[in-house]
Amino acid sequence: MGRALVLRRFKNVFWLANRDYKNEWQMSSFFVIALAAVLAPMMILFGLKFGIIGSMLDNLIEDPRNREIRPIGSGRYDRTWIENLRSQTGVNFIVPRTRAIAATIQLKSEKASRILSVEMLPTDRGDPLLNGLDIPTGLHQLVLSESAARKLKAGKGDKISGSLARRFRGRSERVHIDLTVVDIAKPGAFSRDGAFAPVYLVESAEAFRDGQAVPALGWKGDKPKDAGRTYPSFRLYTRSIYDVEPISKILLQQGIEVRTRAADIEIVRNMDRNLSAVFWLIAVIGLIGFSFSLGASLWANVDRKRKELSVLRLVGFRTGDIIWFPVIQSLFTGVLGWVSASLIYLGVAYTINEMFASQLESGDTVCRLLPEHFLIALGLTCTAAILAATLAGYRAARVEPSEGLRDI
Amino acid sequence: MSSFSNERLGAPNPSSSRILIYHLRDVVKTREAEGVAFRLLVPSLQIAMGEKVALIGESGSGKSTLLDMLSMTLKPSEIGSFRFRPGAGAEPVDISEHWRKNRLNRLGDLRRQRIGYVMQTGGLLPYLTVRENIGLSRRLLNMPGDEMIEELAGNLGIRRHLDKLPHLLSVGERQRVAIGRALAHRPSIVIADEPTASLDPIAAEKIMSLFIELVDELHITVIIASHAWRHINRLGLRHLSHVTRRKENGHTTETVVSG
Repeated sequence: MGRALVLRRFKNVFWLANRDYKNEWQMSSFFVIALAAVLAPMMILFGLKFGIIGSMLDNLIEDPRNREIRPIGSGRYDRTWIENLRSQTGVNFIVPRTRAIAATIQLKSEKASRILSVEMLPTDRGDPLLNGLDIPTGLHQLVLSESAARKLKAGKGDKISGSLARRFRGRSERVHIDLTVVDIAKPGAFSRDGAFAPVYLVESAEAFRDGQAVPALGWKGDKPKDAGRTYPSFRLYTRSIYDVEPISKILLQQGIEVRTRAADIEIVRNMDRNLSAVFWLIAVIGLIGFSFSLGASLWANVDRKRKELSVLRLVGFRTGDIIWFPVIQSLFTGVLGWVSASLIYLGVAYTINEMFASQLESGDTVCRLLPEHFLIALGLTCTAAILAATLAGYRAARVEPSEGLRDI
Repeated sequence: MSSFSNERLGAPNPSSSRILIYHLRDVVKTREAEGVAFRLLVPSLQIAMGEKVALIGESGSGKSTLLDMLSMTLKPSEIGSFRFRPGAGAEPVDISEHWRKNRLNRLGDLRRQRIGYVMQTGGLLPYLTVRENIGLSRRLLNMPGDEMIEELAGNLGIRRHLDKLPHLLSVGERQRVAIGRALAHRPSIVIADEPTASLDPIAAEKIMSLFIELVDELHITVIIASHAWRHINRLGLRHLSHVTRRKENGHTTETVVSG
């Protein structure tokens, strides 16, 4: 019985608060607009921060180049050392690298007249730069970089021919090799003319240049010395951008100087933190300001409506019921202001994104909010509104029934 | 019932057969403002059910103070005893007990159910239509019956205004609405504080007659306060005795009401 009674009393207060709010629609809409004027810019600001920084972070995380650790200079790394590093937690991909000079190859395609000299990059299954592409295997396959493929007018599946030259025992020698383009790398993967080739093919090219024989390809020369083979460098990628620092440390401890994009990553992460701080500062100042202005107006409303409130007390509304009166009205303002601000935000965000659409990669947005951000905005607004109304509500509840009954 | 036997000799209208709605003894309210003290004394006050009582006096003589105490919105400074009978068949309620224990919501409940109030100037809620204003107490008490409101509005001559907001009505019409609201939930008693003070004499007389006619018809007890009222006797209201005097020290005004 008690609950039904309370519910009925609340329904009555709600009804009255609603009627009063509608009756004073000019005053009410003024406050809704005032709230929207505070809230909408905050939502746009946050949308921009979230959109721009979010895109930057997404790019950072998605771009495998940010997960690369490059050794500076050349060292002597053997297979065992590389296998050990591969098993390290946080390491996603590692292949040995031969000497850069020995890793060039001349390519010729039937569709293009020119001969193109390209760098060969050793690759293997799981190469982050070739994510989603066919990986070359054996001795007759490679993946061309986008610029090399363009210059050679070569496409996926095309046959091209490669050639290597050396001076051996005082004579110039040249060997040819038939190659199949199994795929073309994405433009961002490697910006120069290059070819991703299986480690064995790259090693074979180096061996040939060093005057050794490569029996698998029919290239003659000195007997290859397999034992104790070392590599001057390696291609290393970590699992995530957060693994870059710990893996770099491990290498540094072994005296290997490395180069990473850690600084770039740190800059963006710092920017995110600082902009978030700035945003929250503005949001807090804005919401406090709004709470105060709404609170002051609700407080003043209690004076303005003293007579009406005393009438309510006189007809038997209880103290607890009267508190709800300004709180309900304040919540109306909060919700309506939030709806208006959201609509303004959606319009502005659409315009901003349209303006920048041509300068962005598809899928990137400059101004973006997730559904939960709208809900957080609603939650904060309603909290501010309730706080603003509580004092006024408490004051309203203290209006004596006999007060304001007479115009003296 | 024994507590309601008349203890004071020579009290006005002593009648043991009457059912009392109010029975006050030695109730005092003291107020002080800007060095001037005001004291309202009620040695004894008895109002019977169905009675029509008038409280006549100049403004500032304590009429409103007494009405506020009777409507249980103002706490007396001292209480000998204060009993209120909510309905004809009900036992009297000890109001002094409620005040002492600060049971404001209990007093609010009594007020909501049993008391109607007509204010000096309307006191209507500007955001509700005339119909909703009249039905406000009924709504709060969860009482059905729109016909009741229609009928009352018909009797008050404001039926055509039922769906208008109060600001579209004349002062006199608004006062009729206020009377309607005070009566709509069939209270035991209606308290009216200067209900016609803001009206011209002709309209005032007309509305007052209508008011008295309605409470008579509905068997509702009524207490009306007014500062000057020529036609009071014609309406058959009982005067409460009302004496105001200034104390020797010069800054205390004392009013004694009894009846």
